[in-house]
Amino acid sequence: MVITVENLYKTYGAIKAVDGISFEVAAGEVFGMLGPNGAGKTTSTEIIEGLREPDSGSVSVLGMKHGRGSDKIKQRIGIQLQAPSLLPLLNVEEVLDLFASFYKRRISVKEVLERVSLTESRKVLSKNLSGGQQQRLSVAIALINDPEIAFLDEPTTGLDPQARRNLWTVIQEMKSRGKTVFLTTHYMEEAETLCDRLVIIDYGKIIAAGSPRELIRSNFKESAIQFEMASPPGKELLMALPGITQAAIDGTEVSVYSKNIPASMGALLKMAEQDENGGLLNLHVRQATLEDVFLKLTGRKIRE
Amino acid sequence: MLKTFFKLFVANTRQFFRDKMALGFTFAFPVVFMVIFGLVFSGADEFQYDVGLASEDSSQTGLAVSEAFKQIPIFSVTEGELENQLEELKKGGFRAVLYIPDGLAESIARGEPVNIKLYYDPSQTTSIQIIQPVVREFVNGINQMLTQQPALVRLQEESIQLKELGNIDYLVPGVIAMSIMFLGLFSGLPLIQQREKKILKRLGATPIHRANIIYSQVFLRLLLALAQTAIIIAIAYFLFDVAILGNWLMLLALILLGTLSFVGLGYMVAAFARTEEGAMPVIQLIQFPMLFLSGIFFPVEFLPDFMKPILNALPLSYLGDGLRQIMVEASPVFNLSTDFLVLAGWLLASLIISIRFFRWE
Repeated sequence: MVITVENLYKTYGAIKAVDGISFEVAAGEVFGMLGPNGAGKTTSTEIIEGLREPDSGSVSVLGMKHGRGSDKIKQRIGIQLQAPSLLPLLNVEEVLDLFASFYKRRISVKEVLERVSLTESRKVLSKNLSGGQQQRLSVAIALINDPEIAFLDEPTTGLDPQARRNLWTVIQEMKSRGKTVFLTTHYMEEAETLCDRLVIIDYGKIIAAGSPRELIRSNFKESAIQFEMASPPGKELLMALPGITQAAIDGTEVSVYSKNIPASMGALLKMAEQDENGGLLNLHVRQATLEDVFLKLTGRKIRE
Repeated sequence: MLKTFFKLFVANTRQFFRDKMALGFTFAFPVVFMVIFGLVFSGADEFQYDVGLASEDSSQTGLAVSEAFKQIPIFSVTEGELENQLEELKKGGFRAVLYIPDGLAESIARGEPVNIKLYYDPSQTTSIQIIQPVVREFVNGINQMLTQQPALVRLQEESIQLKELGNIDYLVPGVIAMSIMFLGLFSGLPLIQQREKKILKRLGATPIHRANIIYSQVFLRLLLALAQTAIIIAIAYFLFDVAILGNWLMLLALILLGTLSFVGLGYMVAAFARTEEGAMPVIQLIQFPMLFLSGIFFPVEFLPDFMKPILNALPLSYLGDGLRQIMVEASPVFNLSTDFLVLAGWLLASLIISIRFFRWE
């Protein structure tokens, strides 16, 4: 285990920012901490990084404890803070060169620039970079010392979809090099795509843990089948089809939840053949998502 | 350690020179100040007052007196009718008008006293304070000349300065002291900025020793202070002929100590102010009283007695006094060693307070 966290507590006044968190991260995995804003993700992350002191609990990173060993730990981890925190009047190359000089082990500025696709902007002052570019530079700083663990705190927040995919590639590349990535996010889709394992955190507590698939499977037995029909049949008729436990009709859009997809699909297709108004359109089977899991566990949507 | 310091120093320097505001404030401002001061004050020795003369005595003696009056170096004399001259005085064209009545020679021959009149506008206090004694002296001179009696007691004036000093010589150390104060007080701003933008936190998340961040900033400030001083001295020397009389090493030491003291004050501000906007009024509050109460631009004798303790508490008083002593060998207000000690004291105090209250986040 490269990170072990036990019974972490941290309060700010009356607010329990971190309320008894324990988990472990194995070498080489992408580990996610998923939760809404203010759930305690950043506080937990910064305690693990050694930037904050917990009220109680213990953290071990790469087999070492913070405090006296902090500098040794910091040599071997890469940190990206939630705020870009760049020196505004230095250009991209100068920023990376400065941070590279702080570490014993490092990869070349050129290589890091290529990895985060900033090579063309290397002479641009960081204050003149777009939000997405600043975020990527901030991630690049976290990679400059070729860290064994990279801590990325909401690296894709505020990015456009294109920039977000770019960063996903960077993270997947890290994993393929055998590095550990510790990622916080409030994007369900991101966690589902990237994380091997994750914890869902709400009000400072872990409310669920496991791989995305496990989390979904343990919470949802059914899958959703969605389609459009010009004149949908009644709800009772749909519920009578094999395997279907629940149905929702909204105008021409129909969602049914099924615990036996093949049987339900067969019945639905037969129904479509007999339909005189064009049959089923846009038919697709959708797995329940982490969004559905969070909704089920907390009764809230993650972004509200 | 040294490498980190150097890298941070290079980064700070780059950022400083790319910040046009800070750059202008640090270099353009003292230069402009120096040039304006120089142009206004360097000609002060040749300064002349416009004075009117109305002489109604056209005798040999009368003409001689008029001629002698015109020779007084600080007066630029215009002759004319008394009525017109007084009119001009009221309009402000003259600072004063001297009236020599008719029959001067006859009265003197008869041994009767004659009144030469000096008209002036009492609202023009400063110029009158200078003109009056000069004219009085002039009249005494005429009396002596006429009575042919040698003065038994004479005042011999001798400056204890090795070199004749003009106003500008006194102002150059003042401008340097002022620039050092600004440089120091404002040195906390980059720190506040970096804290606000979480750059200090970001740097703190690396394995470096955080003190390097401060050391590299302070080192840059010291170099800037030296560059600033060198520019001011160069302008003073080449444009206005002000030479440095004292010990250069001592000057260097005082500039470095002064800069450190004011950087200390600037960091103290940074320790308490959370934002740049919050720091600005505090800096103003510190700098304005100092600018006017520490005697860097005008002699402190003008200050009422109850304000003297303030003067004695301000670090700028000591920096200005020390610089003046070393640079132009002006007479001391304090001992030079006192200047050094008080500045060192301020440095120590601000250091302790800054370290105690400074927050990295």
